[in-house]
Amino acid sequence: MSSPISTWDGATVYYTSADAHGLLMVWIALASAAVIGAIVHTCMHENKSATAVRNGNGKH
Amino acid sequence: MSPEELQKMIEMSGAINMEIFYWWCTAVMILIHAGFLAYEMGASRVKNTLASAVKNILAFAFIVPTFFFFGWWIYLSMYNGLSPDFAAGAAGVPWGASMGPNLADNASGVFWAAFVMFSATTASIMSGAVIERIRISGFIMLAILLGSVVWILAASWGWHPTGWLTTKFGFHDTAAAGCVHMIAGWFALAVVINLGPRLGKFNADGSANDLPGHSMPMTTIGLMMIIVGFFGFLGGCIIYKTGAQWVTIYNTPATLSAFAFNTLMGFAGGVIGAFVISRGNPFWMMSGGLAGIVSVAPGLELYYPPLAFVIALVGGGLIKPLGDIIERRFKLDDPVGAFAVHAGSGTWGIIALGIFATGYPHIDAPATSFGGQLLGAAVMASLGFSTGYVSSRLLKSVGLLRVAPESELLGLDAAELPAHPYPESVSATAAAVRTGPTAEAGLSPQAV
Repeated sequence: MSSPISTWDGATVYYTSADAHGLLMVWIALASAAVIGAIVHTCMHENKSATAVRNGNGKH
Repeated sequence: MSPEELQKMIEMSGAINMEIFYWWCTAVMILIHAGFLAYEMGASRVKNTLASAVKNILAFAFIVPTFFFFGWWIYLSMYNGLSPDFAAGAAGVPWGASMGPNLADNASGVFWAAFVMFSATTASIMSGAVIERIRISGFIMLAILLGSVVWILAASWGWHPTGWLTTKFGFHDTAAAGCVHMIAGWFALAVVINLGPRLGKFNADGSANDLPGHSMPMTTIGLMMIIVGFFGFLGGCIIYKTGAQWVTIYNTPATLSAFAFNTLMGFAGGVIGAFVISRGNPFWMMSGGLAGIVSVAPGLELYYPPLAFVIALVGGGLIKPLGDIIERRFKLDDPVGAFAVHAGSGTWGIIALGIFATGYPHIDAPATSFGGQLLGAAVMASLGFSTGYVSSRLLKSVGLLRVAPESELLGLDAAELPAHPYPESVSATAAAVRTGPTAEAGLSPQAV
């Protein structure tokens, strides 16, 4: 992935992938998936913890 | 130096001063979150200390990316109601030129950051009301909805230069008592209704038990940190203009001096009002300082300071009786009085402006009026409550709202987290002894 600018003279938008719309979408999708994945993971952890406590095996 | 070069230099100096101002407002606002963190931990029993902390920090962390993905776009585009202005919202789409490093845009990043902190504040307000029994996953979803959708929609309607509540009805709320405090307080109330009380909070005959938090000093210090953080919050409510007077979010003139007079008078009035009414309860007294500031927030740039003091005195005095009504009459368990402090004083503040500061002109909008304020308060309360109720009801129906009773009785730290808040000499068992047998008796969630 190369820089979207070749000189600082007159540069405006210069963030990584600024010149590659498709790649920006990839980063947005990955970041969104990470947010959703973290919530799902939290939910699964809570379910497992609750089961362990119910069975008398609170693991922490 | 040519006049053009001089002009360019002045403009760049102004842009950088503006960046510096909002950068530090944002940093100071983080103290609000730190304060809520301490406040909630102190208000929790020992066995839930870290769970309350984790929940609060996660709200902040999840709001940052989601506010980037859609929150900022909602603010910029939804000022007409529920039909977005896509052209206005273009600056807030996550793939836009303004949403990242851009040498031609010194403003978007710092404004976005300040708004993220407002979002985190709304989620923190709700966070305290649901401690010790909400699922972290369910809470995160509610925090995202409140912090990255609901409050910012309300802000677009009533805390925006062209928001419909202002342009059509003259609604005025300079320091966001409506879109932040009312929305969060009413949202929290709706969640608390669906969530139910903590085990042991109410007896079968309906009487309430006291479930004291494990550290009133931590709670009190947390509240004072929130007050410090509010100077960043309120600073973030004024617009810096290069070479010109400050303006409010409605483009009406204002000064930070006016903010300083009325913020401190509001704090003092709120503390004294709550101190007297609660007979010196430190929790309500410090909450009163916050309620006092919220009470005067809508007219922070308008009030004569002694009037601000009186308005805050009433706002601070209201919260304890309101908290008692919520608990004793409606049998709702709001451990930190989030509804009373934020929705109560926010509603009072919005209406107070309609009583004491009518007729102030807006730019291309009706002047301030009692009717405009009343309508704005009704919209904020309805939006906050309805979205909070529907979303938490939905989570409840799929089992994602409340922890299992066994986990709640054991304590959420032991049940879910790989850490302990204090050395072994301070144990959950000790906390159980302190809170008494009623609180730990294992009453069913339905035992109200």
